[in-house]
Amino acid sequence: MNDHKYIIDLHDINKSYPGVVPLHVLKDVSLGIEKGELVSIMGASGSGKSTLLNILGILDNYDSGEYHLDGVLIKNLSENRAADLRNYMIGFVFQSFNLIGYKNALDNVALPLFYRGISRKKRNALAMEQLERMGMADRATHLPSELSGGQKQRVAIARALITNPSILLADEPTGALDSHTSREVMQVFRDLNAEGRTIVIVTHDPAVGEQTNRIIRISDGRIVE
Amino acid sequence: MRNPIFDIENWREIGATLSQNKTRTFLTGFGIFWGTAMLALLLGGSDLLKKLMSRNFEGFATNVAVAFPGRTSKSYAGFNKGMPLDLNLTDITNIRTAIPEIEHSSAVNILWANAVYGQKKSSAQLNGVEPGYSKIFSPIIYAGRFINEADDANARKVCVVGRKVADEIFGSSEALGKEIELNGIYYKVVGTVGQTSEINIGGAPMDECVFIPYQSMRSSYNLGNKVNLFMMTIKPGHSPGEYENLIRRLVARNHPIAPDDRAALGFFDISEQFKMVENIFTGITLLALFVGVGTLLSGVIGIGNIMWIIVRERTHEIGIRRAIGAKPRDIIVQILSESMVLTTVAGIAGIVFASLILGAVQHLTGIAAQLPFTTAMAILVTFLVLGTAAGIIPAFKAMQIKPIEALNDK
Repeated sequence: MNDHKYIIDLHDINKSYPGVVPLHVLKDVSLGIEKGELVSIMGASGSGKSTLLNILGILDNYDSGEYHLDGVLIKNLSENRAADLRNYMIGFVFQSFNLIGYKNALDNVALPLFYRGISRKKRNALAMEQLERMGMADRATHLPSELSGGQKQRVAIARALITNPSILLADEPTGALDSHTSREVMQVFRDLNAEGRTIVIVTHDPAVGEQTNRIIRISDGRIVE
Repeated sequence: MRNPIFDIENWREIGATLSQNKTRTFLTGFGIFWGTAMLALLLGGSDLLKKLMSRNFEGFATNVAVAFPGRTSKSYAGFNKGMPLDLNLTDITNIRTAIPEIEHSSAVNILWANAVYGQKKSSAQLNGVEPGYSKIFSPIIYAGRFINEADDANARKVCVVGRKVADEIFGSSEALGKEIELNGIYYKVVGTVGQTSEINIGGAPMDECVFIPYQSMRSSYNLGNKVNLFMMTIKPGHSPGEYENLIRRLVARNHPIAPDDRAALGFFDISEQFKMVENIFTGITLLALFVGVGTLLSGVIGIGNIMWIIVRERTHEIGIRRAIGAKPRDIIVQILSESMVLTTVAGIAGIVFASLILGAVQHLTGIAAQLPFTTAMAILVTFLVLGTAAGIIPAFKAMQIKPIEALNDK
C-alpha cells in the first residue's frame, strides 16, 4: 500500500527496544500525511511519540512495516544514505534548539549546506536569505548565547529550511519558550504551512495542537484517532 | 567523493572550530608543544653533553699508543733482573719497518730545562720531538709553526714554545724570531703552541713545554741513540693493541731481555681508554633514547586522552551535525584533521622553542648544541603519526555517535 498522495506514509510500523523485558513501543502504527499538511502528533510522555518522531526523521530504525518518505522507502539504510536523506529531505526543529554554541547564527544556519559540499560564499548567502525571512538578519553574527529563546528557535527554523526539505519535523518546538514567544513561533510554522510546507509537530501541549490543522493522538504505542 | 585534504571548505571548518574553542585548543596544543619541546631538548641536551665531554679530548687522536722503557723482571742471557731497558733508535727503525700500519709516529726525549730570555726565566719541560708529533696531538698553533721535517733532518737550533712559557718569558712582546737559552744552548723561536684537551702523555701539557727537534736534542745534550718515549697512531681500521706483542718481540730481539718479559717495555694503548669513554657516550645516547621514548609515549597518551575528552564533550555537537546530514566519514575526518593540524602547529612551536633554548645554551657555553633538522623533522613526524594514531580510537568513538543523541540530550 504505497499511495503517492501521502508524503509520509507509515504502514504497520512496529518498534520495540530489546532488554530483559522487551519494550514494545510502537504497535502496528499506520499513518498517512499529505503534502502541505500542518499536523501535530500528541501523546503523553512514554506514549511512543518520540520514537515515532525518530523514525519519521530517519534517526532510528523500525522492526517491521514500511515507511515511505516522499515516495522513497526508508528501510535498512546505510549510515551514509540515511545521512544524505536527512540532509536533503528533512528539516529538524528541536525543543532545546540544538544550535552549535561556538558558531554564530549565520554559520549555524549554513552548516547543513557544508555537508553538501557547497562553497562558503554560496551557503552564507543562502543562510542570510533564510535569516532575513525569519527577521533575524540583524542577529547574523551573534552567538546562540547572545540570543533569546524565541530568536534561537527562529535561527533553528532557518537552519531546518535552508536545505529546502520535503518535510519539517519539530520536536516540542515551544517546550522551552514562554507562552507569548510560543505563539510567535507557532505563527512562523503557520506562515510556512501557508506557503505549502509540510510540517509535523510533536507535542504534549494542547495549545500547540489546537493551532495545527490535524491532531494525531498516540497512546500506548497506537494511533488513537 | 570529496577529498578532505584538497577541500578548502574542510580546512575552513577545522580552522573555525579550533579558533572558536580557544581554551581547548590551547590546552591540547600545549600538551603537544611541551612533549615535542622536551624531546627536542633531551636529544639536543645529550648532544651538548657529548660535545662538552669530547672537548676534553679535542685535538687528540683516539688510536694512539705509547711504548716506553721499563725494567726487566726476569734474568736473561746472563743479566740480572731489574736491569733498565735502553730503548734506542734501532728499535724505532725496526718497529717502523715492521709495521706499515703505523700512520704517524715520533720518538720523544724529555729533559727539564730553564728557558731564559734576557732577565726572564721559566722552568719548562723540554721535549725533543719528530715532526710526526704534531700529527698525533694536533697542538693549537697560536703563532708561527711546529717543528717540521727540515728542522729535524738538519738538527736545526729552533724551538716551539708553549703559551704559558712564552707568556712568562716574553710577556706581551712578540716571541717569534727571538732566541732563547735552554740549558746553555740557544734556539730560535719559530712558533707558540697550546692545547685544549685535558689529556697529556709524557708529562706536562703543551702550554708548559718547549719543543725542539729530536735530532737537535740528541746532538746538543749528548743523548746518543736513547729514546724516552715512542708515540704512534695506527691507521684507521686497526687498533694499537693488535701490534703490542709484535712490538715487544721486535724490542726483545734487539736487547738481552726475555721474550716473555712484559715489564721490560711499557705499552700504553689509549684506544682502550677511549672505548670506556665511548661506552659512556653510548650510555648517554641510550638514556636519552629511553627517556625520549617515555616522553613521546606520555605525550601521545596525553593527546589520546584529550581527544577522548573532547569527543565526550562534543557528543551533543556531533549528534547535531549527524542529524543535519553529516556522514560518519565527515565526523572522523573532522576529528582527525583537527588533531593533525593541532599537532603540526604545536609541534613546530615546540621544536622552535627547544631550538631557542639550545641556542641560548650555545650562546652561554660556546658549544654548538644544535638540533639537526632531520632529528627535528623526525620528532615532528613521529608525533604526527603517533598523535593521529592515538586520536583514531576517540575518532571512531565519535563516528559511532548516533544522531539521536542530539535529541535525547536536553
